[in-house]
Amino acid sequence: MTVLPGNIEVIIGKRCYFMTDLHSKTSDIDQQLVDFIQNGVDHPNEDAFNRLALEIFALQFDHIPLYRRYCLKRGAGPGKIHAWQDIPAVPTAVFKVADLCLFPDDTERVFLTSGTSSPAERGRVGYDAGGLRLMAATIETAAAAFLFPDGLRTQILVIAPDPELAPHMVMAYGMRHLMRCFGAPGSRFLITEKGFDVDALSRSLAECTADGSPITLCGGSFGFVNFFDFCAAKGCRFALPPGSRCLDAGGFKGKSREVGRGDFIAMCRHYLGIPENRCVNLLGMTEIASQFYDNTLRNSHSGNGGPVFKCNPPWTRTQVLDPDTLAPLPIGETGLLKHLDLANRGHLLAVQTDDAGRMVEGGFEIFGRSEAGEARGCSLTIDEMTQVSEASG
Amino acid sequence: MTILEANGYYFPPGFDAGHLRFSEKTFERNGAVLRLKVPEVGRGLVEDLAGYLKKNRDDYLKKLPLARIIDVLDRASRLWMTPDFGPRKLSLDTISVVTGFSRETVAESIVIEMESSLAADMWKALRSEIGDPLFLDGFQYSRELNGLRRAYGPALIVSFFSENIPALPHLLFMRAALIKSACLGKMASGEPTFAPLYLKTIEEIDPEMARAMAVLYWPGGCESVEKAAFDNADALILFGGIKACNALLERVPRRIPVLVHGHKMGFGAVGKQRMTKAGLKDLAKAVAYDVAMFDQQACLAPHCYYIEEGGEVSPLEFAEVLAQELAVLNEKIPRGAVTIGEAAAINQLRGKYEMRELKGEPVAVFTSPAGTDWTVVYEKDPFLFTPSPLNRFIRIIGVADLFQILPTLTPLGPFLQNAAVAIGDDREAGFIDQLGQLGLTRITAPGNMATPSMMWRHDGIAPLSALLRWCDVEKKGAM
Repeated sequence: MTVLPGNIEVIIGKRCYFMTDLHSKTSDIDQQLVDFIQNGVDHPNEDAFNRLALEIFALQFDHIPLYRRYCLKRGAGPGKIHAWQDIPAVPTAVFKVADLCLFPDDTERVFLTSGTSSPAERGRVGYDAGGLRLMAATIETAAAAFLFPDGLRTQILVIAPDPELAPHMVMAYGMRHLMRCFGAPGSRFLITEKGFDVDALSRSLAECTADGSPITLCGGSFGFVNFFDFCAAKGCRFALPPGSRCLDAGGFKGKSREVGRGDFIAMCRHYLGIPENRCVNLLGMTEIASQFYDNTLRNSHSGNGGPVFKCNPPWTRTQVLDPDTLAPLPIGETGLLKHLDLANRGHLLAVQTDDAGRMVEGGFEIFGRSEAGEARGCSLTIDEMTQVSEASG
Repeated sequence: MTILEANGYYFPPGFDAGHLRFSEKTFERNGAVLRLKVPEVGRGLVEDLAGYLKKNRDDYLKKLPLARIIDVLDRASRLWMTPDFGPRKLSLDTISVVTGFSRETVAESIVIEMESSLAADMWKALRSEIGDPLFLDGFQYSRELNGLRRAYGPALIVSFFSENIPALPHLLFMRAALIKSACLGKMASGEPTFAPLYLKTIEEIDPEMARAMAVLYWPGGCESVEKAAFDNADALILFGGIKACNALLERVPRRIPVLVHGHKMGFGAVGKQRMTKAGLKDLAKAVAYDVAMFDQQACLAPHCYYIEEGGEVSPLEFAEVLAQELAVLNEKIPRGAVTIGEAAAINQLRGKYEMRELKGEPVAVFTSPAGTDWTVVYEKDPFLFTPSPLNRFIRIIGVADLFQILPTLTPLGPFLQNAAVAIGDDREAGFIDQLGQLGLTRITAPGNMATPSMMWRHDGIAPLSALLRWCDVEKKGAM
């Protein structure tokens, strides 16, 4: 968090006093949040969670005027609601049209959503320094539990650009922190100005295979598929040393062919020699500071089998809502995912996504677009119209 | 729980399908289960069926006087207009279970489709497209030619249907029969129940005529089956999305004439002279009907309405009254079920507009009190055409001058179909002229977007005459 220079205090007097008060209160909350996060993933403390959620909600209600109006329309406000479930969520799309930061003037970093071809249509989420510190804490705790439960330190190779190259890409930023906290020397990013350096990745994989050092391969799901297609074309495959693992995120978004989860895992085994229990999928979103990991690697480390699903670390909650009425659905029913993330202290706690999924005992599942039901009827996307215009012109 | 049973195919009388394997597809919605019997469709079946249809077309339909064909089709339409007609009652259930459309929407669709499919419409459509309809029955004298002239339809038309308008597939069988062509329909997975019931009606009126009609379902992209269909077709009619149509077109042999009806979009434009206090309620009712019909899933549906400022009623006031009328209409003809993805798209857009409204932008959102049943968004930007997420989501766009919207629409020309226009002053003719140049194929009044007549040249194509081959006898006085 930026410290206000003393002379401003003198100039704007009362307002500055107010700001200082807000900053110190926030700083206090942030410390409680960091403690809560660092307490690990095994202590879902419902009472502390609810208390912190309502406290942060009050902060956001009081100091983000747009959100306050949004809540007032829904009859929600501090003192009026007493459970985290009642904190009004905003649809992810609102980040495309409104700045909803607690400290817009203190923004250290802005992350943009990917998605459509129109840059004006990308969501913007700003982080202040405290918010970035919270995100870092979530990465450390969640990765330690779900990606490195064995405490192994490996080279981390990332199929994503370096944050210097992609300053607004939250995955690049997060991966760099992951690399700094957990990576052995030689860890690096594989997407350069010239694109995905598949040759460098092949060389690294061959070297690690030769000297028997396990590796962690991370990146966008479509990047993996593009690499597998490259391997298929070259006729090469790797048998990575035991302990190697992969972490993919983000789906395909039209950047590679669509691949089902079963096929994806089969390809990880075939081309990388990484078994199913070391393939971890991660749900990360620009609008959410925390990450939701599959339980695969953690289960396999602790010797538990069982179904694969996404886990909510204790500082987050996920609900599934009826897509039409937005009322919460019982466990097992398919609807829309809504997440509440305490690490979103800087930009609205509760976010309503357009992802379909369902709650399961212990976590949740997220489904692909096709399972959500394609749009019916006569309509066209801007992309379709452009493609056809180009093809016919 | 109601159990419904229906066939997801129609084989003409006397057709021996051999030893076909059938499977049962089940659909479930709101306490009703539909068990749909579908045959396993292979290349052989399509070849046999195509051969059977062509033979019967040659033996009977080809020789049948047009008046008789029209009489059969007219009787079928009238039966389907009768509320107690058994197949119609069954189709209200089956179509609503399969598609999610409300029963009321399905009923309204059937009325719309059948009321415009009576004998008088068929004669008019034929006269409008080919002059003398009797050219189809035999050689007739043509004064312009100073000779004899006759028209021949293709032996077999293969039609790929879409699923977005209940009861639309009958139109393809009607048009084929009017030009004495056999017709093999390929149903969309999203609505495989109406066409078999309709063909059964034809069979009951004239079984010989029904021998030239059949309908099947197979999963799109099944290349061996589609190759058999194309190899046996003499003409092809495609309805569907751009990707699906393009994928099919790549495999269609060049000898076959093809009519393509790809996805299209519509809009409305109302001038300030028409924005009167006296006419407000009627206009809102009309626009509400355009938006609500077929839950906006037809190509005919408006994605937005441009409303000119400066009239007695502002675009924002209009949006509010339109919202009231959509609420009224939703009681009478409820919106159907939506998929998770469709509901999510509506929720996300509503949130985006609500936030802009809260920010103080000139935007307003009116929504159904619960759920995603209907949404009216008001905004002000003549340079905007954004496709709607459909399912009764309409943007009312305030513009200072309707002519301002033309540059925005120009690049979209090939994708625009239908516009409701009400300007009410001397600019109207010029505006319509520009829309025609731009690529639109139907201009109508608010309230009529969903109900084109049979005379409409569908997507700019004269659907009856486009597939005809003519033979002229030009003797020029010799012999």
